[in-house]
Amino acid sequence: MSDIIRREEFGDVVVLHILTTSVDAISAAAIAAECQEMRPITVLDFSEVSFINSAGISALLKFVVSARKSGYQLFAMNVTPHHQKIFKMVEMSRYMPTIDERDLAAYR
Amino acid sequence: MQRVELRIPSIPIFERVVRASAAEVGSAAGFSPEQVEDLKLAVSEAVNNAIDHGNRGDVAKLVAVTFEIDGEKLEIRVSDQGGGIERIDVSRRVVDDATLDAGYLRGFGMYLISALVDDYEVDSSQQGTVLTLRLYRKDRQQ
Repeated sequence: MSDIIRREEFGDVVVLHILTTSVDAISAAAIAAECQEMRPITVLDFSEVSFINSAGISALLKFVVSARKSGYQLFAMNVTPHHQKIFKMVEMSRYMPTIDERDLAAYR
Repeated sequence: MQRVELRIPSIPIFERVVRASAAEVGSAAGFSPEQVEDLKLAVSEAVNNAIDHGNRGDVAKLVAVTFEIDGEKLEIRVSDQGGGIERIDVSRRVVDDATLDAGYLRGFGMYLISALVDDYEVDSSQQGTVLTLRLYRKDRQQ
């Protein structure tokens, strides 16, 4: 089991809880590796994440690419206002919109 | 004026040391939490550029970072020991269908720096590149 990501699966959904506080050059490879095992609805949970830089954004974009190739839906959850700002700046929000935890309840 | 200086080897893990220092310096200088987050990201990108593009990952080469607090201004200089760079692309870089399809998933760093700091300058020569970032406390800005 990765100490960077904890997987939680139910039905067609996988929630990938990012356990590291920094999504950066150090953690990027371990995070990106999880894009090999996405589900039709994949949610990245950023509740533990306090920092994301461009190396981290590059890793997250690998999920976007995989989702587009597979026709899967990709969402972000528990994104801080600062990181929402950064995602909007690079227009990543278009490809990874945010979802509320309560909206996931319908799939459980 | 107050000054804090750091030197790190060109190893990515040490970028976190500079980033943590940036957070402490920004807080000590009275910047708001949102400005401190902007500062951390801009400094992180500058240091990673110095490691990857300036020193080209040569661990024997250092990255020097100087923080100077001068009233409402915080100036950060990030210097590498590389051979200089010909040009820096600070054009707006966003995610779009074409770049995703081409697998071009990098290159956001300088755009983020240019958008997050109040001003910046680049001085590059065969002796290395110095990227200077300036941020001003918002409560003092007119």
